[in-house]
Amino acid sequence: MKEGFRQSMAWLHTWSGLLVGWVLFMVFATGTSAYFRDEISHWMKPELHGAPAASQVAPAQAAGQAVRFLEREAAGSPRWNIGLPSDREPDVRVTWTRPQPPGAPRQRPLAVQLDPATGERLAAPRATRGGDFFYRMHFDLHYMPALWARWIVGFCAMFMLVAIVSGIVTHRRIFSDFFTFRPRKGQRSWLDAHNATAVLALPYHLMITYTGLVTLMFMYMPWAAQTAYQGDQKTFFAEAFPNAAGSAPQKAAGRPAALVPLGPLVEQAQARWQGAAASRVVVTFPGDANAAVTVYRDGQASLSSNQASVVFNGTTGQWLEARGEAVPAASETRGVFVGLHMGHFAGPVLRWLFFLSGLAGCVMVATGLLMWAVKERQKYAKALAKGGRIGFGLRLVDGLNLGAVAGLPLAMASFFWANRLIPVATPDRPAAEIAAFFTVWGVATVAAIAWPARRMWQLQLALGGLLFALVPVMNPLTGGAGLVTAATAGHWSLVGFDATCLLLGMALLTSAWWLGRRKPAARAGTAPRSARAPQAPPPAANAPQPLAHPAAEPGLSPARHALAAAETQSS
Amino acid sequence: MSAIHLTLALASCVAAFSALGLAMDRHYEDSYGRGKSPSPGLRRTLRLAGTGGLLLSLWACLAAAGTAQGWVFWFGVMTLSALGVVLLLTYAPARVARVLQGGALLAMLCAGWAMAR
Repeated sequence: MKEGFRQSMAWLHTWSGLLVGWVLFMVFATGTSAYFRDEISHWMKPELHGAPAASQVAPAQAAGQAVRFLEREAAGSPRWNIGLPSDREPDVRVTWTRPQPPGAPRQRPLAVQLDPATGERLAAPRATRGGDFFYRMHFDLHYMPALWARWIVGFCAMFMLVAIVSGIVTHRRIFSDFFTFRPRKGQRSWLDAHNATAVLALPYHLMITYTGLVTLMFMYMPWAAQTAYQGDQKTFFAEAFPNAAGSAPQKAAGRPAALVPLGPLVEQAQARWQGAAASRVVVTFPGDANAAVTVYRDGQASLSSNQASVVFNGTTGQWLEARGEAVPAASETRGVFVGLHMGHFAGPVLRWLFFLSGLAGCVMVATGLLMWAVKERQKYAKALAKGGRIGFGLRLVDGLNLGAVAGLPLAMASFFWANRLIPVATPDRPAAEIAAFFTVWGVATVAAIAWPARRMWQLQLALGGLLFALVPVMNPLTGGAGLVTAATAGHWSLVGFDATCLLLGMALLTSAWWLGRRKPAARAGTAPRSARAPQAPPPAANAPQPLAHPAAEPGLSPARHALAAAETQSS
Repeated sequence: MSAIHLTLALASCVAAFSALGLAMDRHYEDSYGRGKSPSPGLRRTLRLAGTGGLLLSLWACLAAAGTAQGWVFWFGVMTLSALGVVLLLTYAPARVARVLQGGALLAMLCAGWAMAR
């Protein structure tokens, strides 16, 4: 171990980043989209685009109207959940569970969207997972048990944290290269882009990775809590999560009793929170003598994810308990970390800042992955010049890079198209949309591994770009409110969705165009071509940007020099 | 976050990063020609102005969004403006000085307005 600290950190950064980079790119991309989860869901239900954009109805009144609907349609249910209208979500969303015999497998709750003013069903929207699909995939992946998925994602997030910290150590010139971006300089440009997106959004990257681990910390590291509470899970959760326990009855009494009107209770709770809005109301055992009503405060009121709530007796309206107001410091610290990760507190401007930082994270991961391939390719420069072939590892990385960085946006755009093109009456429609997403992604990745060439990059980027850029055209043609209609009606979330898709599509198309701008020096770097032997510059077929000749490329950053030096030493 | 505070935070942050960038030899050269470098006095002024601009932007965020969210806001605003200044220094280095002046002027106007109210 003669290597210096910085060299070993460079090694660590390279390999910890490469190993999990593809999963991280997916986690970053889907997580970034999840900042607009509600907006995406709304866009994906074009049947609701005609409803008024902003709710003029006070939450208290909307709750009262929703109860009339639930008493009619969901009598006998053990639990009603009423999502109250807000700036982001103008409708009332009610969900309820059906009564079921004990021991039966848990069913998904039924969900219906209501007009806040009348309490009547809105036009039945198509069945879709909407933005929730990306949100869940962000940490639950798909087609596998959620528990495994969370371990996998947690493992990758831990590597991300390692990569960030070792990257900071490796990057010796953080301040002198702070504003530096040198385009059209081959590998150096990739490094500059990687550094800029990493350093300039560093507070965000550190925060999001660390707090991401914190969200599932009791799953990853349960031992401290187990020891401290000696296995008493119930007490632990009651103390750690203010909303978990309560004085609300846990069992129905079996005697019918009328439910108290909800409106005054919501107003009472809002008065207690100095006017902060209520976000939802949960009624347990409605219509029973043991009914209880819990009113939750809107997440925008505080950074912490520990929502305050007030519990009332459901038959008398008597105030039972206020939760989440004097949360212990440790629980509140965790609550703030989780809150920062989810961003529920963020208003529109801050939400966009989070979104942009998330995009910077995607670019950081993508450029990091590409840089590994660009650097690795240099080692094969001589072999390639003689007509040899690149190694299996590089070929695999090239393919996976392509499948992740170009294939995922293509698949995400396809998901939006599938949402509009799959007939509404299709049985199990949400699964069909998701199958479309994974089919496109799977085909893209297989094609990428089979032929990881510049043409394939261009093809997938251009396809993804076209699909994204045409979303604003497709939207009004398939029943949605188009840009102009939405803008005149004040549906700014729909305008934002279409505009963002257009911009993303244009960015992808630009990169596809940029790849084709120069003639690919050697398209088939992966196959033996002895006829190409005389060509001097090393072929950079699979990398999106042609490399400068290694000899004309002395200016790697010192850290990369260190890495190169370390590699020569060790070999 | 009121529009005036947001404009103040962004304008002062962009101006501050432009000033900090111009205080560096590499970017000064890009803006004013090869071999030119800022005089020691100018460099000090630029750095002081840059620091002041960042602090002004922090003040705007804290005043408008409260202590807790203000810091989150400030980091977001810094990320956005720094990315903008990087693109500016790369693709339009000759305009940096004008952006710095414009940003500073806008920040002054907004600061005056925000404090007068």
